Amino acid sequence: MRERERERERQRGSRSQTLLLLPDPIFFINFFYLQNSRLLSLLNKIHPSLIFIHCFFLLQTDRRQPPDNHPKMYEETGCFDPNSMAEGGDDGISQSVKHHKEDDAAVSAIELELQKHLAFNVEDTHTQSISINSNTHSIHDPANQNHQILPPYEHSHSNWDSGVVSADHMGGFDQNENDQSQQSFINTDISSSFAQSQTPPLLNLLQFPRCTTSSMLPPNSSISFTNPDHHFPVPPPTSTDVLYDPLFHLNLPPQPQPPLFRELFQSIPHGYSFPASASRAAANSLFGEIGDERDATGAFYEDGDVGVHLDNRVLEFSRDLGCIGRRRETAGKPTKHFATERQRREQLNGKFKALKDLVPNPTKNDRASVVGDAIEYIKELLRTVNELKLLVEKKRCVRERRKRHRTEDDDEGMKPLVDPADQSYNSSLRSSWLQRKSKDTEVDVRIIDDEVTIKLVQRKKIDCLLFVSRVLDELQLDLHHVAGGHIGDYYSFLFNTKIYEGSSVYAGSIANKLIEVMDKQYAAVPPTSCAY
Amino acid sequence: MEFVGSASTQSCITQKRGRRVYGDDRDFKSKNLTAERRRREKLSNRLLTLRSLVPIITNMNKATIVEDAITYIEKLQMTVKVLSDQLLEMESSSEESERPRNDEINAAEEMKKHGIEEKVEVTNVDGCKLWIRIISKKKRSRITKFLEAMASHGFELSDTNVTTFKGATLISSCLNGVYSYKIEAEQVKELLQEIIKSI
Repeated sequence: MRERERERERQRGSRSQTLLLLPDPIFFINFFYLQNSRLLSLLNKIHPSLIFIHCFFLLQTDRRQPPDNHPKMYEETGCFDPNSMAEGGDDGISQSVKHHKEDDAAVSAIELELQKHLAFNVEDTHTQSISINSNTHSIHDPANQNHQILPPYEHSHSNWDSGVVSADHMGGFDQNENDQSQQSFINTDISSSFAQSQTPPLLNLLQFPRCTTSSMLPPNSSISFTNPDHHFPVPPPTSTDVLYDPLFHLNLPPQPQPPLFRELFQSIPHGYSFPASASRAAANSLFGEIGDERDATGAFYEDGDVGVHLDNRVLEFSRDLGCIGRRRETAGKPTKHFATERQRREQLNGKFKALKDLVPNPTKNDRASVVGDAIEYIKELLRTVNELKLLVEKKRCVRERRKRHRTEDDDEGMKPLVDPADQSYNSSLRSSWLQRKSKDTEVDVRIIDDEVTIKLVQRKKIDCLLFVSRVLDELQLDLHHVAGGHIGDYYSFLFNTKIYEGSSVYAGSIANKLIEVMDKQYAAVPPTSCAY
Repeated sequence: MEFVGSASTQSCITQKRGRRVYGDDRDFKSKNLTAERRRREKLSNRLLTLRSLVPIITNMNKATIVEDAITYIEKLQMTVKVLSDQLLEMESSSEESERPRNDEINAAEEMKKHGIEEKVEVTNVDGCKLWIRIISKKKRSRITKFLEAMASHGFELSDTNVTTFKGATLISSCLNGVYSYKIEAEQVKELLQEIIKSI
């Protein structure tokens, strides 16, 4: 973006003196934003030309009473006829600047505008104290730190670029250089240079030699000085009415705290095209790197445009300057919710992981499989719960039946297999099915009523029949049918068993036991013996 | 501006992030759009199914579905544990059943009824391989004991099949001698008969 600006500047040639004619909003924007040096660096990054204005603001951190000559200043500025300067060029500021080059009126007007903005927008004190008249007087005062800036003012002439540069440098001063007098210098300069003949002082005012300003920079300042030779892009005021007096009538309420750009612009009566465009220009210039805006002709921007462009610019702005952080993130969602979005994602991933850990047989690791496994597991759990309920029920019935029989004492050792009374309780067929997998074994247990079908697949070549039958005996399962054998690397077996009466095994217990035994066997057998 | 694109599909694309081609975004999107869409639909379908299973639902978004499923699964697991403990308790306190004895008695009777005889057949198919076929009475855990006996003698059984019918058990398997010397069929037969009698 900066390159684009530079190019445009070069193209425009001498029309780089738009610096001074930054519209009103910029001033108060600058002021409020530049309460911090951070903001200052920010602004510097964005648009060097703004520094110039910033310097005025920064220098004044205290709130002081406006000087007495302030009203006078305003009067003077009021007298200024902006129309004389405007030539209807596409860049009012540049036009006026050009004019200013020819005569100081423009410059002084600009300065007056500056002061005006300072006066209006800055809360009570500061710019008010800037007395235009005092500028020229204190220019040469070396004692005053701020005054040192002024001598540079007088050095370069008729070179807006350098003036801009120096303005840039001026911007480098941080708030520590709070110097009322400097502003007063400016004020005096402006007032003094109000007359057309007083171009040189004003020009001097605007031009700060690099060396001086750099020396005044605090060592740890984050401000980066731009190339003095680089032409600052002209913020298009889009209107030659830049120097309109309407600002005088503008009764902008002082902003209590650094408002966001949007709010600032919103506070400006939108009736004024100038402020709107100025806002835009301000936004553009502040956010910098927006070459497109610079070529804007004298068309009036609509308020909506301002907002839109502001959004774009703010987006880039806040993305470029992460340190400024989450400012009024008019910028789209990405920046706004970056941190929260990330948190949300991480939480979601954590939940999926927890779900995966719950499931006994995790297969794949992607979300869909995890959910699929969870679905199967929930179904299995439901089946198991039903089965267990049935078993408990059955057991209870048997118990009660036994008690009844005992009490009745008609038992001859032959207990009826099925008591008609019980049948109603156990009318539901017990059915259950589940699968369990371990590293080398896969077990599938299906139970219907009292018949259990077990399918066992094991990877290693271990004579498992013995162990399995042992287990089945332990579980009180009657082996009825066994079939299976080798299949490639696997042993595959199908066991048809019957549950002995009175046994309360359930599918889960069978499967778990089997898996346990198989794994134990695998662990016990050394790996070499498995290989054939 | 990559954030814009990634934020919208961030929740969906977790694994493909590394393979994302930034310079080629459009191709990537169009080439993989249908696959990605299918993947997302698959996931959302499954989530819907999951939601349908879980009785207690709070909100209807992805995160809460998963969360609710987790709580439900845990609840079910707790229920299973409680019930199984209960069952064990009941099991331990219940009386021993005498049914198996009856089964055995019945089995022997049935065999006689059907005229199935106990038999042991051994066939030598190869130097070390023998096919054996045993018909015996069905007794509880007889098969286990038989297998144990086989293992203790050093016989390795492969391709074993067991069937039961009317109180008789038929065991057929292929017997490989662990000791690689020629095994006489007759010897094995006698051995087996002894084993059967003992168990």
